[in-house]
Amino acid sequence: MKKEEVVISAKDLKLSFYTDKGRVKALRGVSFDLYKGEVLCIVGESGSGKSVTAKMIMGILPGNARIDGGSIYYQNEDLTKVSEEEFHNIRGKKIGLIFQDPLSSLNPIMRIGKQITEALIINGDKVKRLYKDLISPALIKYKNAIQLRNLELDRLRSEFLDSRFEIRNNPDIKFVDGTKQIQALRKQLRVDLKKVMDDTKGNIAALKKVLDEKKVFAQKEAQAFKQSLVNAYKEKIAPLQAQLKTASEGQKKEIQAQLDAEKLAFTNSLRLTPAEAKRRAIKVMEEVGIPNATRRFRQYPFEFSGGMRQRIVIAIALTQDPDVLILDEPTTALDVTIQAQILDLVKKLQKDRQLSAIFITHDLGVVANMADRIAVMYAGKIVEYGKAEEIFYNPQHPYTWALLSSIPDIDSKERLESIPGTPPNMIYPPKGDAFAERSKYAMAIDFKEEPPYFQLSETHFAATWLLDPRSPKAELPKIVSERIKNSLKKAGKVHG
Amino acid sequence: MAKSVKFKQELVDRDTILSVRHLKQFFTVGVGKNKFRTKAVHDISFDIQRGEVFGLVGESGCGKTTTGRSIIRLYDITSGSVYFKGHRITAGDRWNRKEIKFSTLRTQRAIKDLKQKMKDDIQDARSEKQENNDEIIAKIKKQYDDQIKALTSELQTLIKVQKEKIRQIAYDNKHIDPALLSKIQMIFQDPVDSLDPRMTVEDIIQEGLMIQGQRNKKENSQKVVEVLNQVGLIPEYASRYPHEFSGGQRQRIGIARAIIMNPELLICDEPISALDVSIRAQIINLLNDLKEQYKLTILFIAHDLSVVKYFCDRIAVMYYGEIVELTTSEELFKHPLHPYTKALLSAIPKPDPITERNRTRIPYNPMTDHDYSKEKPTLQEIRPGHFVLANSAEIKKYNAEIKAIDAK
Repeated sequence: MKKEEVVISAKDLKLSFYTDKGRVKALRGVSFDLYKGEVLCIVGESGSGKSVTAKMIMGILPGNARIDGGSIYYQNEDLTKVSEEEFHNIRGKKIGLIFQDPLSSLNPIMRIGKQITEALIINGDKVKRLYKDLISPALIKYKNAIQLRNLELDRLRSEFLDSRFEIRNNPDIKFVDGTKQIQALRKQLRVDLKKVMDDTKGNIAALKKVLDEKKVFAQKEAQAFKQSLVNAYKEKIAPLQAQLKTASEGQKKEIQAQLDAEKLAFTNSLRLTPAEAKRRAIKVMEEVGIPNATRRFRQYPFEFSGGMRQRIVIAIALTQDPDVLILDEPTTALDVTIQAQILDLVKKLQKDRQLSAIFITHDLGVVANMADRIAVMYAGKIVEYGKAEEIFYNPQHPYTWALLSSIPDIDSKERLESIPGTPPNMIYPPKGDAFAERSKYAMAIDFKEEPPYFQLSETHFAATWLLDPRSPKAELPKIVSERIKNSLKKAGKVHG
Repeated sequence: MAKSVKFKQELVDRDTILSVRHLKQFFTVGVGKNKFRTKAVHDISFDIQRGEVFGLVGESGCGKTTTGRSIIRLYDITSGSVYFKGHRITAGDRWNRKEIKFSTLRTQRAIKDLKQKMKDDIQDARSEKQENNDEIIAKIKKQYDDQIKALTSELQTLIKVQKEKIRQIAYDNKHIDPALLSKIQMIFQDPVDSLDPRMTVEDIIQEGLMIQGQRNKKENSQKVVEVLNQVGLIPEYASRYPHEFSGGQRQRIGIARAIIMNPELLICDEPISALDVSIRAQIINLLNDLKEQYKLTILFIAHDLSVVKYFCDRIAVMYYGEIVELTTSEELFKHPLHPYTKALLSAIPKPDPITERNRTRIPYNPMTDHDYSKEKPTLQEIRPGHFVLANSAEIKKYNAEIKAIDAK
């Protein structure tokens, strides 16, 4: 078996949101690998942190979010430490994102065509592109340095906030004493912040100088590039124009046509023309299965049905030719039949373009259809991770069992085993196994200590104490075991 | 004229709790030259027996929600009638008005033809120039006059009957017993939008009782506590506001609000579509328990066939305002006949990777799947209790299909 190439590797992601009520620990150590050409499905209830993971990869976290740790490696770069400038080259271009609601991700008063070609045209100016490409290494270095400094500052600040929170919530410390301690801490924080600022000042200034020099150089280079194009164009048309003056009526038309063609070639070499952008957009629209693309190019989002809108959003993502596609519940707002069409489309695109995809959903049927690998998330953690067959035919974590047994089956009318209660409040995440409170398999240790990942096969991991050799043997819920037996039997028939 | 709401004894005898007859619901959209009529529901009929769970399935925009809302009188229906426990609760008179209009036109045309024929006959008689010409002409005239008179009187009786029916419909729509209507309750899809954010849970739940004239606060509070317990919420929640609850809890409040009226028929309009996977099972189990406890009859509207199969006794599949197939849920999954039903069944995602990978989806294309140029389709009973929208050619085809499946 050949070794698979890892496209995105997330390690121990930790993230919290600062809200009025306290610090919501949305991610508490999430690790996964996305392999090339594979689909990774992230499953879980709302609030389990699956959408936050996607947003973290895309670098579009809201303002109150703080990254507490972890790294996301994509093309040898840590996306959590990358500056906004560098993210411009990744977001949308290399990693595309598709949201749940196609209506709110499209501009209602802009024609579809314009929305699809927008990014193409913005990125289409070749002189500007050259300038940006030339300065980008220096710019990225400079911005990354600033980003690193800011991250350090943020870390210090959140450390201070944490210790303040701890002091205030500690019943042993008197309020007055606590205030004193906090004041001391605040003083220390100021000193620390200043130190970080001073330490990085010199480096940043130097980088800034390099950047400024580079800018002047790049400006010249870009101008020269443009001039060379203009000169070449002028050289080409000069003889034609001379001919035009002396030519007869019949020849004039021919020469004029030649001149027009030259002009078009010149503008095309300078920037991506709207006509060319339209041609490409229509090609992509046909690829995602929008009929009458030429006519629909000029329509508004409200003139499309839900499924068609989702196709348009996918088309917009595809114009930039991404390597990775992140789909955040793309079919939840759609009907079953339309959902089936969109899933087929995503599969086809993924095959044709060799895309890797992260597919976020709570529908296990969709997961079974799409996934190569599955990560089951609960309360900001991955509780089970493995290949699709392993998760569906050999589930190990009680939460996976619960998810599997709570969906109605076409073949049986047995009473569903619903999961009692609601997901935990993530301001005070439960000690030990987060699912213990709702699980009937919970043991005493589940409430005390967090279970480690037990490895079941090369690709299959589960975080539950049930896998510990000392724990009693737990039986799969009947509804799940029956279903697995049935489907394996059926599969045996299919394969002969 | 002493009047009463139309009542059908045979429905009570057959224990049919809800009977929908030729229901049509049209909406007029737009103004001026852009005005057009949407036929949201176009002539559907079905009966629901007491104690059964009846499922209505279809894609969005097929009119399933409109049907539910029409039954509970959230819309004035365009045509047809709905009977609840034998009493007509809502009706529309469009068909009757059309009947009057077209019968009048038909009769007028017939009379015109007759008059023309009479003229021709008289002309012929004149041209023959017989002795008793006048007599013959008088005879012909009398003969035709009689026919015309018969037609006119026929029309007049028809108009009289239809006008009486229209009057009855108007009367029925006005004089429905509110206590009877309160025995039908509805649970809505969106647990966020269907609860008033400025009312406490207690006010929301007891609002129906207040409207029905039960104003005793102590008694009402007692009842609220009871239903809260039944839907699995603690009584302390009564004084809270909807925003303090999660989606599943809000849906429970919606159910409590319906249950407190002691309903006999519960219309559930996609009650679980907006909920999380794990919460869905809770709500389905709750509805199942309440069904047993209150002996409820449920009209369950959904687009998720696997849930419908699990929950319902009989299923009607709707497509663009029409019922295309109606049968028991086992039969529907064993012998799906209409191409749309097949397409719908082939699209259900299953939690089973191997079947998913080997699945072939059947697309539905109404333009190519049917040939209705010669004969229009009607809803026909192909097997006992199994109805399908088809014409005679298709019925033959479907019969062969059933045989083929059974032979396997």
